[in-house]
Amino acid sequence: MKKIVTVLLSLLLLIGIVGCTTTENSSSNSNSGSDDAKQEDGTKVLKLNNGSEPTSFDPPIGFDSVSWNALNNLMEGLTRLDDADQPQPAAAKEWEKSEDGKTYTFHLREDAKWSNGEPVTAEDFEYAWKRLANPDTASPAAFLSYFIEGAEAFNTGEGSEEDMMVKAVDETTFEVTLESPVAFFPNLISNPAFFPVHKATVEENPEWHTEADTYVSNGPFKLTKWEHDSEFEFSKNENYWDADNVKLDQVNWAMVDDTNTEYQMYKTGELHTSDVPADLSEELFSDGKAQVEDQSGTYFYRFNLEMEPFQNENIRKAFAMAVDQQKIVEFVTKNEEKPAYGFVAYGFEDASGGDFREVGGDLVTTDADQAKELLEKGMEEEGYDQLPAVTLTYNTSDDHKKIAETLQQMYKEVLGVDVELANQEWNVFSDEQKQLNLQFSRSSFLADYGDPINFLESFQTDHSMNRTGWSNEEYDSLIAKAKEETDEAKRFEYMHDAEELLFEEMPIFPIHFYNQVYLQNEDVTGIVRHPVGYMELKWADIK
Amino acid sequence: MAKYVMNRLFAMVITLWIIVTITFFLMHAVPGSPFNQERNTSEAVQQNLEAHYHLNEPVFIQYAIYIKSLATLDFGPSIKQSSTSVNEMIGRGFPVSAELGITSLIIAIISGIVLGIMAALRHNGAIDYMAMTFAVIGISVPNFIMATLLIQQLAVTWEIFPVATWASPMHMILPSIALATGPMAIIARLTRSSMIEVLNQDYIMTARAKGMTTFQIVTKHALRNALLPVITILGTLVAGVLTGSFVIEKIFAIPGMGKYFINGINDRDYPVIMGTTVFYSAFLIMMLFIVDIAYGILDPRIKLHKRGE
Repeated sequence: MKKIVTVLLSLLLLIGIVGCTTTENSSSNSNSGSDDAKQEDGTKVLKLNNGSEPTSFDPPIGFDSVSWNALNNLMEGLTRLDDADQPQPAAAKEWEKSEDGKTYTFHLREDAKWSNGEPVTAEDFEYAWKRLANPDTASPAAFLSYFIEGAEAFNTGEGSEEDMMVKAVDETTFEVTLESPVAFFPNLISNPAFFPVHKATVEENPEWHTEADTYVSNGPFKLTKWEHDSEFEFSKNENYWDADNVKLDQVNWAMVDDTNTEYQMYKTGELHTSDVPADLSEELFSDGKAQVEDQSGTYFYRFNLEMEPFQNENIRKAFAMAVDQQKIVEFVTKNEEKPAYGFVAYGFEDASGGDFREVGGDLVTTDADQAKELLEKGMEEEGYDQLPAVTLTYNTSDDHKKIAETLQQMYKEVLGVDVELANQEWNVFSDEQKQLNLQFSRSSFLADYGDPINFLESFQTDHSMNRTGWSNEEYDSLIAKAKEETDEAKRFEYMHDAEELLFEEMPIFPIHFYNQVYLQNEDVTGIVRHPVGYMELKWADIK
Repeated sequence: MAKYVMNRLFAMVITLWIIVTITFFLMHAVPGSPFNQERNTSEAVQQNLEAHYHLNEPVFIQYAIYIKSLATLDFGPSIKQSSTSVNEMIGRGFPVSAELGITSLIIAIISGIVLGIMAALRHNGAIDYMAMTFAVIGISVPNFIMATLLIQQLAVTWEIFPVATWASPMHMILPSIALATGPMAIIARLTRSSMIEVLNQDYIMTARAKGMTTFQIVTKHALRNALLPVITILGTLVAGVLTGSFVIEKIFAIPGMGKYFINGINDRDYPVIMGTTVFYSAFLIMMLFIVDIAYGILDPRIKLHKRGE
């Protein structure tokens, strides 16, 4: 016994010593990407990590990326986004728009089938969309249906199911009437909330979506195994209308919640893609291993206009202009984000092919001198001898802390103002921010659908996403006009005007736009990651 | 004895009820809600969700509903993972956590006791210092560092073991070791100090004088008494280790129970918070009870029925 223990003991000590000395070479002799990714028998099995158990594979319920990234490949809506993020015919082979832009008629493919072999019908869509808006479903994504006439009333309990204007005209014709002309409707309905469900299955078994054997899907893949909390498995769906273009035989999804572990598994070939661990990001970027894709969202700060000193526009502007976004992305986050000088992210094309952000230009600039002037002017306007104490609050996290500390430093240097930092647990923070109890706080926005209006509607008076106390009638009317406008050029004009107005009054200021950074095995191709939307594996392949 | 057990069981139910009540009201007093999202959702959507989970009712009504379903051992559905009930979560997670916990406890107890005895027998000798240095390292190196170290060395560089997940017995080895080091060190230190004390007792001298070998003395006379303090901490340790370690399970992607304790609170997933708390408390209370019984068996001087009367 003594011997065994001595051996064990020295072994562990040895590991400790060797562990400290070899960490450096081990990362250089790693075999990432060089392993043959294909299985020995030639089948193509993609190995991905979902992070954690999907909250639900029931389309209207699992309103988050751990559910919808996978679900996007199990199911298919009327449209699907292509590799240029444009909506293409999917379950619908074509559609017409009425002249007023409010009525869409979709023609479904005759060969679109469920994984159980039954055809995908217009009735399935009608049933699924009404289910999304039904208050009894309690879907967190229900608000996405509000574009459809009668959906909001139905969801809030004021209207009835019959008055929601979605109708299966016949087996393959599906008609939808909207509240207002929504130019991006074909893009919107690629969202998993608008996926169909197999009516007969759902009516027969409300728990159909909880296990692999009862799950019925209409997408490129079907769910063949689901070990809860541990892993799930997709296989190619032979009943899919476009099965010839689906190259993978199988997708295995692990649920690894720890980025370091994920990265280690990627290095040993147990996974084909991985996030980038924060400690290694610089190294992986300089090696050119980390890949970057845009993500439509903005990291920004909110002023509270109901608390001193931020009721004053010039003081808000001073605080905004004192910030150097370029420096923050270059030296603090170091994640290759694009610095943000407007609220709407890159990637939205207008009628003449220009990018919304580029056309809109920089709406806030970094200017220390002007910031100082504005602060003085603002203090004079308010009659302050001394600026009221400012507390910057963020939700507890290392990343947010780094940015907050940088801002604190910038305010000290540029404005000579001592800003206090405070952090709160996320849920508490979120509550306080919504109740306007925070003076100056960290925020983020990720787009739910691919149109600038999704960003801009947030700051309408009393909108649930406003959270600043800012209210401007002209802004509200510009947003309302943009929502009613059928002419694309004019619609974008309204949105540009609205964004300019937002920055004239500066209730918020942006830091950077989000991106998606990942590592991917060199043999894997064709995975599409949209700026707005969810992962596409339909065209993925393994060399 | 029977009366003592009855009394204790009754006290356990009361304790559990107090824990449930305090947790329930504390949990609802904490700001935040399970439906808090940074992204935009409409008022109506929030209200529909709250109505769906009866969160729009007064807290006392919710409490009554909860106690009623708890009486039938129904913990209700998780709010975050709406298609899973808390009973299912515990049913799935606990066996995995327990398997990992038992393995690492066996490692910890055996190696801890052996280390402790060796250190005590060679009190102030080289082995003693080595064992105790090892124990100090075991206590002071957090298990997530240990886990990362083991993965880096044994899984990534030497490729002896798989990095993570929970698929085969091979997958169990690294997490079990990582989880065992802390408890092992504690047990080793406790065993050592009580062993040293026992070894200086008169009856050990007597045994030695009678010509018994060290091995006989340790196993027949010393160990039984030296283990009493170890048994004391074992109750808490077993409950803690068996219900899962958040950190180890996260690092090794083990589908155990550990994450529900933390994620439940972060998500304000009320049924999960309650379910895990009740489960853990019941388990812990049960363990402490077993420890008390074990005392009586190991040490005849402790008479249970007298305390119970």
